[in-house]
Amino acid sequence: MLITCPCCGPRDVAEFTYQGDASRSRPDPASTDQAAWNAYVYDRVNTAGAHREYWQHSGGCRSHLVVLRSTLTHRIDSVRFARDEADGARRRSGSPA
Amino acid sequence: MSPRRTASGGRIDRSRSISFRFDGKRYAGHPGDTLASALLANGVSLFARSFKYHRPRGVIAAGVDEPNALVTVLRGEVREPNLPATQVEIVDGLVAESQNRFPSLERDVGALNQLGGRLFSAGFYYKTFMGPVAGPLKGTRFWMACEAVIRRAAGLGRAGHAPDTARYEKMNAFCDVLVVGGGPAGLAAALAAARSGRRVVLADLDPAFGGALKWSGELLDGEPAAGWVAETISALAAMDNVRLLPRTTVWGYYDGNTLAALERVGDHLRDPGKGAPRHRHWVIRAGHVVLATGAFERPMVFPGNDRPGVMLASAAGRYAAEYGVLPAERFVVFANNDSAYAAAARLREAGATVAAIVDVRPDVSAGARALAARAGGELLLGHAVADTSGGRRLTGVALRRFDAATKTLSGEPRRIEADGLAVSGGWSPAIHLASQAGAKARWDETLQAFLPPQPDAGWSGAGAFLGHASTTAAFADGLAAVAALDGSLSDAVDLPASDAPDLDAAPAPVFEIRAADGRGSKAFVDFQHDVTAEDVRLAHREGFVSVEHLKRYTTLGMATDQGKTSNVAGLAIMADARGMAIDDVGTTRFRPPFAPVSIGALAAERFGELKPDRLTPLHDWHVEQGATMYAAGLWHRPMIYGHPGETVEQACVREARAVRDSVGIVDVSTLGKIMVQGPDAAAFLDRVYTNLFSTLPVGKARYGLMLREDGFAFDDGTTWRLAETEFLMTTTTANAGRVMQHLEYMLDVVWPDLKVILTSVTDEWAGAAISGPKARAVLSACVAGTAVDNDALPFMGIVHGAIGGAPVMICRLSFSGELAYEVYCGAGHGSQVWDALMAAGQPFGIVPYGLEALGTLRIEKGHVTGAEIDGRTTARDLHLSWMLSKKKPFVGSAMMDREGLVAEDRLQLVGLVSLDGQALNGGAHVVEHGDRTLSGSIGHVTSVCFSPALGKYIALALVRGGKTRHGSRAFISDPLRGRFGPVAIVSHHFFDPEGSRMHG
Amino acid sequence: MVEQVSPLGSAWTPGRHGNLAGEAGVVLSETRPGSIVQAAAFPGSEKAVMAAIAAATGLALPDGAGGGVATDTKAVFGIAPGRFLVIDQVEGLADRLKPGIPVETGAVTDLSHGRTAIRIAGPQAEWVLSKLFAIDFALAAFPLGAGRATQHHDVLAAIQRTGPDRFDLYVFRSLARSFWTMLVHAGEEVGCEVR
Repeated sequence: MLITCPCCGPRDVAEFTYQGDASRSRPDPASTDQAAWNAYVYDRVNTAGAHREYWQHSGGCRSHLVVLRSTLTHRIDSVRFARDEADGARRRSGSPA
Repeated sequence: MSPRRTASGGRIDRSRSISFRFDGKRYAGHPGDTLASALLANGVSLFARSFKYHRPRGVIAAGVDEPNALVTVLRGEVREPNLPATQVEIVDGLVAESQNRFPSLERDVGALNQLGGRLFSAGFYYKTFMGPVAGPLKGTRFWMACEAVIRRAAGLGRAGHAPDTARYEKMNAFCDVLVVGGGPAGLAAALAAARSGRRVVLADLDPAFGGALKWSGELLDGEPAAGWVAETISALAAMDNVRLLPRTTVWGYYDGNTLAALERVGDHLRDPGKGAPRHRHWVIRAGHVVLATGAFERPMVFPGNDRPGVMLASAAGRYAAEYGVLPAERFVVFANNDSAYAAAARLREAGATVAAIVDVRPDVSAGARALAARAGGELLLGHAVADTSGGRRLTGVALRRFDAATKTLSGEPRRIEADGLAVSGGWSPAIHLASQAGAKARWDETLQAFLPPQPDAGWSGAGAFLGHASTTAAFADGLAAVAALDGSLSDAVDLPASDAPDLDAAPAPVFEIRAADGRGSKAFVDFQHDVTAEDVRLAHREGFVSVEHLKRYTTLGMATDQGKTSNVAGLAIMADARGMAIDDVGTTRFRPPFAPVSIGALAAERFGELKPDRLTPLHDWHVEQGATMYAAGLWHRPMIYGHPGETVEQACVREARAVRDSVGIVDVSTLGKIMVQGPDAAAFLDRVYTNLFSTLPVGKARYGLMLREDGFAFDDGTTWRLAETEFLMTTTTANAGRVMQHLEYMLDVVWPDLKVILTSVTDEWAGAAISGPKARAVLSACVAGTAVDNDALPFMGIVHGAIGGAPVMICRLSFSGELAYEVYCGAGHGSQVWDALMAAGQPFGIVPYGLEALGTLRIEKGHVTGAEIDGRTTARDLHLSWMLSKKKPFVGSAMMDREGLVAEDRLQLVGLVSLDGQALNGGAHVVEHGDRTLSGSIGHVTSVCFSPALGKYIALALVRGGKTRHGSRAFISDPLRGRFGPVAIVSHHFFDPEGSRMHG
Repeated sequence: MVEQVSPLGSAWTPGRHGNLAGEAGVVLSETRPGSIVQAAAFPGSEKAVMAAIAAATGLALPDGAGGGVATDTKAVFGIAPGRFLVIDQVEGLADRLKPGIPVETGAVTDLSHGRTAIRIAGPQAEWVLSKLFAIDFALAAFPLGAGRATQHHDVLAAIQRTGPDRFDLYVFRSLARSFWTMLVHAGEEVGCEVR
């Protein structure tokens, strides 16, 4: 499998570290909503099909990427820097930890 | 002259002779010969004994599809088993031997297995290797005892025990177009792609490119095709954008158009170059792949179809034309299609007699008739071979009338003497790589073959791979495959016209000739695994009707040849048994590898120790001092610096005692070190550590604890504030990589708004910890540029200075509980600074200490490491709740107070003291009662040592209830190592609990 | 100043290795620059950091990921978004870079001891490196001056092309000896000269 890093270009998957489901969202740091934290830490859907996931280019520029990948075919539809993704952008404007 | 060598012709170099050995006997061949062709030329017909029945077998094919003629090649003591003789190029001094026979190929006691045919029918493993349901031999126990004998009798070659000294390498390649297969289709595609300026890789598993054009004898624009091939290859070789890979089998097609190939670099060389690999494992990332992999001819299934002398018609023709070898003198040709007629003519032209051409079809094309006339001999249409005769070599065939519509034999058998039977049951495109790429093959009724699936964006096909048998069609396909890439046909490639006759590509849909009474000889489908047509029908009767079940139950297609010659016939017989069309029965998906791959090539440069050695700047010093080195992850660290005659424990006690009594020095360069820089550095640390770092003054260090998001303890270490916006974080050696990734994740994904730069500086700094009552005196004696007294350098303070002329940074912190300092300097200055510290320590009797003493000192102090922070313990379990700030949220703070994580009966850290004077065992259970069973387990031992300070064996343990058990007694039980004994449960602070020594 | 001790130790064996026929396919050497420094920019400050690098070294970085430039004594190339590796034969580069990169702009991290610089030069340099790294070393794909961050199993490497057939590799110091040994081994097929 090849992942096209937005910084480094297409690289073998061996250069990357899977960093989990990118569809989860972290509750507000001060939140005491145990259900929300539980969902963030543990609940995973195990999608068959298009899946948003984090990969770190740990053997290259070390950026975290949001990869849209089909779990059925390994086809990758998009790769973006995690920093540029909505989740990050939302936090950029908002709450401190 | 060898008995079967033709007088002239072929692509062998008759001017040179090569000497080799097979089963101890010396033979000669020529450059260009394979082991199979050279042995055939010497009149050898018996190559192997079959898998289950030990039947005599000859060679069937001429290429990678050979199922029978597997040999072991010996290179000195190194054995490489299961190589098809058709794939082994002979080289001077080659030594090969046959397999699966005892004591010899000619006289094989295992051949008695033929008498037990019923025993070895389909699924015999499952039926036979069972015992009674009860009693001492219940289940498979009896058979397990017999396993060694059974395994020797059944199967393939023997692997050797000698280490393989050959060199293997990996190679990464990138190209615009990878062309797999160097026949006419592949050559056309490679030319077109190369002329359009693309980077091209052309791979072929044969030693030379050209496919059948090398030897087919057809004319291109009136000239021999072999000449055109040679010209084309030299044109391609001259282009900078082309890489030619002969002897290279592309065996795997993976995601992202990544393909794996094996290049046999040195097997055909008598003296490979110094440093040259034997095999090279290519990983090719291709923009586009052109699959021009050709097709495999299929044998027919009929009684006695496995006698030595029966071979594929194309193979017989190829031996004659390419190698100048007649596999037999007098042939019968048996076919269901036209292609065998060309082989018949080829055999005749090379000097063999073609006694008869037997065809199941009632009529054939004019082109076939013309070839039959050239071949000579009778043309028997509407006939089939009903049986064969002969022992270790074919002596004759029995023919009967055959009705292709009803598939029945009739009339009296007629015997024809022959020592060769050339068979063609049609062609199966080599769709393996396309199948690996993911799509499903489709059945073509006309060609009676599984054709490749519709291509996707990553690949296209050409030539016989698509079912297009002629050179003309192959050329056109090759050009079209490249033209499709940018939508225009290249006019830079002008291909010649072929003179090959038009033949009917459609075979009769006949796969099996079945003796009506069912009594004839065995009819084999899978030669390599000895699976017969009856086995397939038996599987059907027993309910294994899906192709996947059929494959596993009969093992059809599961041998090293992966059913290249057998799959389609097996499916056809199953389809017939079920009364279905082949299309509806379906086929199995091909998986990598297409052909066997040497494991050495996959390991490539990572031989022996698979991991690189990670060495501290002081490594050579440790080794020179006689340290026993210990592998901690990739790192090599000193375990002890043993003196002659000392045990590990004695050395450890001596080293640890020196630290408590005077001063010791230990290499701590392996600690993970991360530079945290930026205006938000302090805020970031407040979020990832449980305690506060924003309040830490510049020039001071603080011990920090990290949790995981789920609230469990993750890692600990000290972090030093070097400037307002610059921190040097240290992590445990083992967790350095994980902590770095955790921090990078939080910054990239969760807090991209924080202005923080993280950099791994583990390797930038060499670190030495100086510990003991005399530590300060040692430092005072060698540090320049700074004072190190209590005022200038208080506990957890940091100063900068120089030692031995090199800049150093000194932090006063203690892991041993003694007055101690960590001295950091640039890694390149590590050995000079260490030498200066040793010299300064000389008057105080400074002792270098290793991991054992380091562990002993920290256990005496009750400090935790990875043995206790094991992913299942919380900060509270480890009595670190004082580090959990209530002033701020931090990673893990929301989850750490969950019900289960604050329960009172959790396993918590305690100390244990051995009461019987014996050593304690790490991993032992702690039990409440005085019996050895583990039913009363209340926890386990995590770290153990002999404490010189206490004069006792002590341990850290995780015990249910923790502190509430202080002062009570229990036992440790380790049934595995036979250790049981009483212990006292005490506080984990064994030594100097007030910490007066390190603050002194 | 005290001179740095090479991490290669006994693994540095000058002379010809492996294939002895003809010209050596590759020449390996440890270049031992005085300074290896990381200059990193916060998002939006990349231009300012590039300007600071130019001011301190005279090297003008081209735009775009992985771009770089090298002279006989100095070099710079991108290794990650907003991160550059700057090399100078002379010591003290970190101190020369710091004034141009204030805290709000980015950070300067001295790696002069933490990274080991290995040069591989010769007609077979691309071939030998391709044995270990899964990146495209062809000149068209990896132009002169450009940099790549990649890895060979456990060994992370920052690689800059400093000539048509010359590459400078920066690897972690602790792994340098193992990596060097592997590189010599890989070079033996084409003849490897250690200098």
